[in-house]
Amino acid sequence: MIKRVLISLVVLGGLGAGGLVTLFLVLFVARAWWTTPFEVLGFGGAPEQPIHFPHTVHAGTDVLVDLQGNPMLGGDDQPMHGLGLDCTFCHRNVDKGATASVPPVEQCLFCHKTVGTDLPEVMKLIAAWDNKSPVLWERVHRLPDTVRFVHEAHIRFFTKEGNLLPSGEQAMIPANVCSTCHGEVANMSEVKQVRSLKMGDCVDCHRNYNAPTDCTTCHY
Amino acid sequence: MPLLTVLRVTIKDEGITMGVTRRQFLRWSGASALGAVVFNGCLIPEEELQIESPVDLPEDLVNGIDNWYATLCRQDPEACGIIVRVVEGRAKKVEGNPDYPINQGKHNARSEAGLQALYHPDRIKEPLFRDGSSGEFQPISWTDAHNKIVDNLASLDDKSKFLLVTQPIRGHLALLASDFVQAYGGNHMAFQSFEQLTLRRAIKNVFGQDRMPDFDIENAGYLLSFGADFLSTWVSPVKYSRGYGDFRQGGNKRGIHVQVDSRFSMTAASADEWVPVKPGGEGILAMSMIYVIIMDGLGDSAIADFLTEGNGYHALESFNPANGSVWDATGVSADRIKELAHSFADPHNHPSLAIGGGSAGAHTSGLFNLTAIYSLNLLVNNVNADGGVIFTPASPLEDLARQDVMAMAVPASFQDWKNLEQPDVLMIRGVNPVHGLPNDANFVDIVEGSGFVVAFSSFMDETTEKANLILPEHIYLEDWGDDVPDPGPRYETLGIQQPVVRPFYAGTGSFGDELLSLGDDLGLGLDSRLGLDGVDSPNYQDLLKKGAEKLWMADRGSVRSATFDGFWNGILQRGGWWDTDAGFGNEYVKYAPALSTGWPNVTIEGPTGADTYNLIPFLSNSINDGNLAHLPWLQATPDPVTSMVWDTWIEMNSKTAEEKDIREGDMLEITSPKGIFEVPVYVHPAVPPWTVSMPVGQGHTSYGRWAEGVGVNTLSILATLTDQDTGALAWAATRVSIRKTGKRIDMRRFEGNVPAIEADPGRIIPLASPDSEHSH
Repeated sequence: MIKRVLISLVVLGGLGAGGLVTLFLVLFVARAWWTTPFEVLGFGGAPEQPIHFPHTVHAGTDVLVDLQGNPMLGGDDQPMHGLGLDCTFCHRNVDKGATASVPPVEQCLFCHKTVGTDLPEVMKLIAAWDNKSPVLWERVHRLPDTVRFVHEAHIRFFTKEGNLLPSGEQAMIPANVCSTCHGEVANMSEVKQVRSLKMGDCVDCHRNYNAPTDCTTCHY
Repeated sequence: MPLLTVLRVTIKDEGITMGVTRRQFLRWSGASALGAVVFNGCLIPEEELQIESPVDLPEDLVNGIDNWYATLCRQDPEACGIIVRVVEGRAKKVEGNPDYPINQGKHNARSEAGLQALYHPDRIKEPLFRDGSSGEFQPISWTDAHNKIVDNLASLDDKSKFLLVTQPIRGHLALLASDFVQAYGGNHMAFQSFEQLTLRRAIKNVFGQDRMPDFDIENAGYLLSFGADFLSTWVSPVKYSRGYGDFRQGGNKRGIHVQVDSRFSMTAASADEWVPVKPGGEGILAMSMIYVIIMDGLGDSAIADFLTEGNGYHALESFNPANGSVWDATGVSADRIKELAHSFADPHNHPSLAIGGGSAGAHTSGLFNLTAIYSLNLLVNNVNADGGVIFTPASPLEDLARQDVMAMAVPASFQDWKNLEQPDVLMIRGVNPVHGLPNDANFVDIVEGSGFVVAFSSFMDETTEKANLILPEHIYLEDWGDDVPDPGPRYETLGIQQPVVRPFYAGTGSFGDELLSLGDDLGLGLDSRLGLDGVDSPNYQDLLKKGAEKLWMADRGSVRSATFDGFWNGILQRGGWWDTDAGFGNEYVKYAPALSTGWPNVTIEGPTGADTYNLIPFLSNSINDGNLAHLPWLQATPDPVTSMVWDTWIEMNSKTAEEKDIREGDMLEITSPKGIFEVPVYVHPAVPPWTVSMPVGQGHTSYGRWAEGVGVNTLSILATLTDQDTGALAWAATRVSIRKTGKRIDMRRFEGNVPAIEADPGRIIPLASPDSEHSH
């Protein structure tokens, strides 16, 4: 009798635990499917890059802080600010073609021949240049093979006078458009995806802007 | 038993006692290979999860994904259908559009070089203006430029003092330009340096057609061509070259091609036989052939009666080949003429086709020559028959088939240019008459004498640099357009030209758009004339779409769709619309206009006597009449006969040259009644001893860095006799005298610069073994 109760308890418990696990799995997959994944097990978070490139320093304009959150001071003991470089300074192809493109090492060296040569991350970069070995970044934004996304067309649309961004602002230069899909990359010390970039996301926006929604617009 | 235990036991048992059998090993390895494939296939390859920062700065960031867009080539009047490879918004390669009826996938070097026009460093990037006819050009905005044209046109009292000069234009641009000129009250002239006017008139005379017929070279059995360099530059060379391939190798019978030509052209070099004829004697030779055909009872006797008004061959007695005058005029013997006539009319060679043009029509008797040549077709009954002269239907769109619209494609005669009344406002689009007309036409004075000259041009050239206002046009790869090919295929066709890349410069624009907006500001009511009412500030693309809408509603032909958008995308994808069922329509009624039987007046101007020759200029296979001299690929494309590049040269018979002690590379001084210049000589045996030949198109003083200072302008020194019927320039009717200067240069030619591949002299390469017939 007791044995029976025990067995049924174990079975029920097992089923319950199994059900819970399944439920969590379903939730995990569903969340990842419709939006961005939970930041667990390395999914959805910012991938670790071979060189810790901080967009905050290059593209941001805020006061720079160290790992403890204290403002970093420059040679004049004043807090240092981000450089505020235009996105297209490095992602040169974004308003010209399909891919935004990452800069070649040579371009980084334009400045880093002399700037920050004592920093360990910059030293990695200089080593890459000396060894003539390309830097392999972990991809953050990736669309399926079936999709052709052309940055240029989107930049062109939103920089046209009268086509307001979803934020309600008028993009004056290409760099004003980027954050619509990529979030405030300038404030990210590690880049991560902030928008689902699933098909529904694309189509919603295309509908809102009266852009074509034929299949062949993206799938060709 | 728990699974794990079972597994362990099994492994233990098998492993210790018997090892692995061959069959088990195969099964396991098969399974693991399959597993490897299956599971790998589920994952995203590592490299796709990474992005590479290359070490060196690439010149061009290419993602390697290409798109091909169909459009039209505008380098030639032929307007072939092309497809352009576009990578990352940059045009990279031109190929023939396999769907397009004219060229069916073929193209030529001239289409290929269109990319160089697009990327040319000497393109004009923004509108330029200057006061008066001298002084420096200053950049100006397109709006300001537009307003200046409006002011000048609006303030013109005598509207007929406005002249628009374009190349021969067809399609909706012709419609727009014609309506603009009519609504404003001005005039239009089409410019072409080697004009096809006499040819068109002859076609009209002989066949009663306003449009060029389709010469069905492809299916002909015997092709007789008088002076038409149809494989290189004449009328529709890509179409003819494609047909020629079939003519020679397509069917079960190899066609015979005889070229009667005063110059050994590329086409003559491809012929089975080249008959060198004395310049201007082509018509007499054709008449003589007609005489033989009628006298010997070959050919259609009813047609013979029409041609001679019932008088038979007696009416043509003066063209009897036995007459010495025929020999004197043609340089072809009586036996040879009879032979030619018999082969032409021989039913075994059926269908025979005679075509003529080029230098054969560029004489004072040009129309007589071409009329006689095309009349040969009537005698062998090849009109509207396969392998013959097939009439082409007009445009599928009524507007484009209007008489005044079709007239926009007909070039003005030299006589018209010479008698041109001084306009006050001159608008020139895409042509260079200052370079293309002989000095004698004094077109420079016309340009300089006009109060206001607007040039639509992508490049600075001899005409453009004399303008007051320059509006840089898009290159055709950046612009919209369409074409009703002429000569077309034998069915209704409308080619569509679409931009394959975005315009490179913000300051360039479209001629069509500008005409529409000028019409708007001048209150010409163009919109309602063109059926564009209700379209908000219409542009040229709207006009094209309006036309396409009519085709869509007709619901026939190569593209049909339930929606207009679907139709429009369809014709853009294919490069146009055509309906192979819509042919010429009307049943052709056998008819032949009577021949004029009087002896023609062949006049040739220039010095006579020792060291004088008849000068036969010819269009360059690459740079054409010079409109493509700005493109280095074409400058560097070797001439097919001499392999010369980057120069003007004179071709001379090798025996004559030897007698005069002239060697290749000698600089000769050429003197015509209108001018004098020095060119190097190229000697070869296939130049008739009574002629010398020179390509046209070089000698630019302004046309970008690659055209300037190369060669001399052959057109400038031509005597300016005209055809007595059409007033067209008789450009093959100049005599020149030649003198050695004593200077020598190294000829810029391909031949001899590359060592020939060494062939083993004694080696025989068997194409078939002697008994191969029996072996299979």
